[in-house]
Amino acid sequence: MSGKASSSSQPSIGLSGSGALSHIYIQYPPLRCSIPESRGLHYDDGTKLLIPSTSNQIFSWKTVPFNPLATSTSDSIPEGPILSIRFSLDTKLIAIQRSSSEIQFWIRETSEAFSHRCRSDSENILGFFWTDCPLCDFVVVKNSGLDLFAYDSVAKSLDLVEMRKLNVCWYVYTHESRLVLLASGMQCRTFTGFQLSSAGIVRLPKFDMAMAKPEANSKPVLAAEDVYIVTVYGRIYCLQVDRVAMLLHSYRFYRDAVVQQGSLPIYSRKIAVSVVDNVLLVHQIDAKVVILYDIFADSRAPISAPLPLQSRGFPRSYSSSSRSSGKDGECSEVNNKIDHEGIIYGDNWTFIVPDLICDVSNNFLWKIHLDLEAIAASSSETPSVLEFLQRRKLEAIKAKQLCLGIARTVILERRPVSMVSKAIDVLVSSYSLSLKTGSYFKGIKTESTSSGVAKTSVARSSTDVSTSRIDGTSIRHESTAGVDSEYPSRASTFSASESEENASSAPLRTDSRDLQLGGGKVDRVNLTGAHSSGPTDNPVFVNISEQQDSELTSPAISPDEMYKFVFAAVEEEMVGDPSYLVSIIVEFLCSTNMEKIKVHPNLYVLAIQLLARNERYAELESFVTNKILEPSKEVALQLLESGRQNIQTRKLGLEMLRQLSLHHDYVSLLVQDGRYNEALRYARKYQVTTVRPALFLQAACSSNNSQHLAAVLRFFSDFIPDFRTTSDFTTYYGILNEMNTSVAATSF
Amino acid sequence: MGLASASTATDGMQLCIFDLRRGQNEGQELDKILFFFPADLPFSTQLSVIGLSEGLITFTRIFSPEAACEIIEAERHSHVFYEAETDIWMVMVVEKGKDSDAIWRIDALRKVLKEVHSLFVMFYGSIRAMLEKDPSGGLIRSHLYPFIMDYLSDFPVGKKLQLPSFRDCLKERGTVQMLTMGREAAIEVQSLVSVLDSCAGNSSCYSMILFHDLLVSTTLSPDDTINLFTYAVLRLSPNALSSGVNSWSYIRRGSTSSHFVSGSALTHSGPVSEQIYHSSDTSPVGNNINRVTRALQHGKWYKGKDGFLVTDIWGVDVGSLVCATPTVWLQQTEEAMYLCPYQFKSLTLILLIPVSSILNGEQGVALVKQQLLENASLKILKVEEKLSKGWGGENAYHVSGYRYLLVDGDRNISRASPPGKVTTLAKESLLALSKLRDEVDLEKSRAKRDNAGCEKDLEVSIRAKNNAWAIARITGGKELYMVLEKASETLLYASDAVEKFSNRYCNGAFSLD
Repeated sequence: MSGKASSSSQPSIGLSGSGALSHIYIQYPPLRCSIPESRGLHYDDGTKLLIPSTSNQIFSWKTVPFNPLATSTSDSIPEGPILSIRFSLDTKLIAIQRSSSEIQFWIRETSEAFSHRCRSDSENILGFFWTDCPLCDFVVVKNSGLDLFAYDSVAKSLDLVEMRKLNVCWYVYTHESRLVLLASGMQCRTFTGFQLSSAGIVRLPKFDMAMAKPEANSKPVLAAEDVYIVTVYGRIYCLQVDRVAMLLHSYRFYRDAVVQQGSLPIYSRKIAVSVVDNVLLVHQIDAKVVILYDIFADSRAPISAPLPLQSRGFPRSYSSSSRSSGKDGECSEVNNKIDHEGIIYGDNWTFIVPDLICDVSNNFLWKIHLDLEAIAASSSETPSVLEFLQRRKLEAIKAKQLCLGIARTVILERRPVSMVSKAIDVLVSSYSLSLKTGSYFKGIKTESTSSGVAKTSVARSSTDVSTSRIDGTSIRHESTAGVDSEYPSRASTFSASESEENASSAPLRTDSRDLQLGGGKVDRVNLTGAHSSGPTDNPVFVNISEQQDSELTSPAISPDEMYKFVFAAVEEEMVGDPSYLVSIIVEFLCSTNMEKIKVHPNLYVLAIQLLARNERYAELESFVTNKILEPSKEVALQLLESGRQNIQTRKLGLEMLRQLSLHHDYVSLLVQDGRYNEALRYARKYQVTTVRPALFLQAACSSNNSQHLAAVLRFFSDFIPDFRTTSDFTTYYGILNEMNTSVAATSF
Repeated sequence: MGLASASTATDGMQLCIFDLRRGQNEGQELDKILFFFPADLPFSTQLSVIGLSEGLITFTRIFSPEAACEIIEAERHSHVFYEAETDIWMVMVVEKGKDSDAIWRIDALRKVLKEVHSLFVMFYGSIRAMLEKDPSGGLIRSHLYPFIMDYLSDFPVGKKLQLPSFRDCLKERGTVQMLTMGREAAIEVQSLVSVLDSCAGNSSCYSMILFHDLLVSTTLSPDDTINLFTYAVLRLSPNALSSGVNSWSYIRRGSTSSHFVSGSALTHSGPVSEQIYHSSDTSPVGNNINRVTRALQHGKWYKGKDGFLVTDIWGVDVGSLVCATPTVWLQQTEEAMYLCPYQFKSLTLILLIPVSSILNGEQGVALVKQQLLENASLKILKVEEKLSKGWGGENAYHVSGYRYLLVDGDRNISRASPPGKVTTLAKESLLALSKLRDEVDLEKSRAKRDNAGCEKDLEVSIRAKNNAWAIARITGGKELYMVLEKASETLLYASDAVEKFSNRYCNGAFSLD
């Protein structure tokens, strides 16, 4: 990987290196959750827990943050069949579906249990989930509709809040979107949707999904596994596989409309969908390749060619591995002699939205990672690569490094100015956007506080090492009421959705706000509140920084960093005519000016140096007079410096000092130039007293003109009250007298 | 000084160019004369003018070898001297006080000489070089004559030449006028410039951008900038183009000038001139080898379909009917460049492509032009839009209450009240300022001689007969000339007005305290 880091800065030739053969990978080791006598493996996406079970015991592994070495907690529960398990969002209760008509609740603290049954026998429980909707805590999906319950912690029972009657064939739900889609109809392609967010319940309009007919009379039936709810850039989409047409249709959900967004081709009978850092991955399982889409803009073009999923860090010849499986150091040997290539897209892989793969037969859990370097290296379209990288939030530092590397390379390779200009536009507008949404400063702030505040770092390390894990979790759940903690990329979703609102105004958006993730607004208030109230030991804040992979939340590059890591770095390496770099700087100024972003004065200084090196003094002058290089002390001093070779340039520098009212520097320089009379006039006008009289006297003295020296002496005697008592006065008075006598002597 | 009075036939002005190194032997004196206007003067008269000038130059060189004679002020004539190249002198003789307008500022006249010479060099190289190429002098004469006649044709009012007089004292020849623009526009322009300069691949092009008659940007050296700017304003800018096309418009500029030139052409068909301008007259039209290109010919530029300006002055390729691209010489790099002007609305771009970088002649130039259209069209559009938006019109730089001329001698830039506003001044005011400028010019040249490099600060305010103030201020290489007709009360008031002007429009450059 370290080798590729350098090659990735040259996107056109980056296809070397093994890493470039895939764009996504799973990193060895996986999270192993094998337990003895395992009866089943469940995943609860509300609490992001992976739950293997035996007949009377369940274990739970945290999957966020993903840590292969995490240990499990276990709960003993009453014996019985387990159809599915979901922890309540505060993890105090466990709901276990025992049969198609019964759900048992297990209170962890008190080890009490109570049950909930369907009222009539005709009703079948299809599924259930916990929710943070203010109206209810628990939702049961039955073939006859939805039942919404509130949990009464005192009576330890469920109270029915609301019933929604409708026929349901099957349903899909993701906690991430808080959206439940209920399928009905003969073909199961008519959908009713509810969003149970912390802002309340929103009922979506009924809609039909498109399905091609194989022949005139047959009507395919849509299955639950063909429908995926995915959340990308804070927008909620539904993806539906049409096996006849071999298309993946996408629908986007708005508060009052569902709009079909076009279709993606599929090349496999069996597919799966994941989302990693807002990139949509469509696994073509039969073909064992994955296609990546970045559906930020309207483009439906894949990011790059289909490539296989890679598994990394796999020991070449490992036969067995042993680890403590959490309970009393009991060891379990996992003999695993399968060739690791073979397990990629195995039959027993289950894809868990958004970014996990569960190998059911081995009880492995893999997390999917994007290989940003490989993606960046696979495309020569620099501006679009940069756009893509700038949208990445999970590995913001890496994305940023890659962006900087690409920017440096295109300049060093002297690509056409128009292309570099586009690339710079991308970076600058991305930075401007991050300023507007605040994600840039958040990154900076988090960085600074996390290093400084003990509690933050303690909290983070606790989750990493998993020694005091309970501590960490308790902080999390108490503080965030189970909302914030669900979203590792909280900030990103907001910035993305906001940016979208700014950028495009799709016709459908006029009447409706985007259907957001639950309670988006409230969350945002929370977050900003956390910042403004001072970061010291605000638990919410701790929680956020703990969840970020890195301190940086945005790969945006500030003009200062642009200067430091691109222009200054490139300038050192660049050989030959510097005018190319000048044009690039101009393009950068163009972009920053457009976005009204301030530029580091050092960049102006660099521009002056480059122009002066080329002896393009006339142009330098027009740069300064037209204020392309904004006036500042640094700029003025550089003009003076470069003005050693060119008197006009020096004049510009002096002029700038005067206009900036840097009186002291201006006066000192005038004296240096021997223009002490002018300097005195100026000093009197602006009451500049900081320049030592000796300098003036010395200058006047070196002119060898006794009248001038006398005038300067006189001036200071008047201008500075006690000047006559200083040593300067006596020294130069003596010199003056000497001068006069010598003049008198020679005249004879 | 009877010799000067002999020239009354052509309205007072005589202009000659002669080479001190030529015709030193008795009987070969005519060899010295490279150009004489009016050409129909008898040689004896021409020789006496030149003889006097030569005598004075030789005499004054005894005392001041570096800077010989600058001017002879006779009772009725002024002789203005300019040493264009070593030993090649230009002398202009103007009549004084014949009519009320014949009051000259000598420096302005000398600038005319300087300008026409610089332009000549830009198109044909130095006079000396051409003399060396053809020692008989026929080549240089055949080039100088039409060139200077075309140049002078820009001056006539009615049937006479209107040389810069005291009425033009709020103008400075030999400087460029800049457009003031905002930062945003300036950055856009700069971005366009980098596209232009890289149009021809690796070889470095130069570019100049004008908006109306004002300079927006240049990558040329200051001297080359002045020359090309002068030419562009004379012949290429939208104003110049339209005045060429509408030669029958009320200005009648084109028509009178053509009359002027053709009239002179007739005169030099006499036996005397035939000898001197032999080559130009006998060379058959269309023969490209001997044909003299008249770079300053009027009304010969027009805008092509692709936006580029073309002219047939430099000849037309017979086969393809493609006009030859003009070439110019850069002073600084001594490089021949193709001159490709492009115009979009009020924006004129001049691209200079090194001749050495284009191997296949016109085809190569066409390719670069194509490149320019492809790469820069969008930017040109954007720049034009930005500049038009900020454009304050013809009177953009008018400051009410002031009639001013601001010269930045270091950068060869000037800005002045619009001509229309200057004409509202009384004659007395203009005369006073003209006189003041004469004095200042003298003072400046004296200071320059005494201690080169040291800049002199100067402040003069004089009161004219009509109670107007004529003011001159020089500081740090910048000059400000001003006429205040309404600030009649006190000197303090006038100086206050200057201070205000300086603070507001010159960044306080003239704010002495």
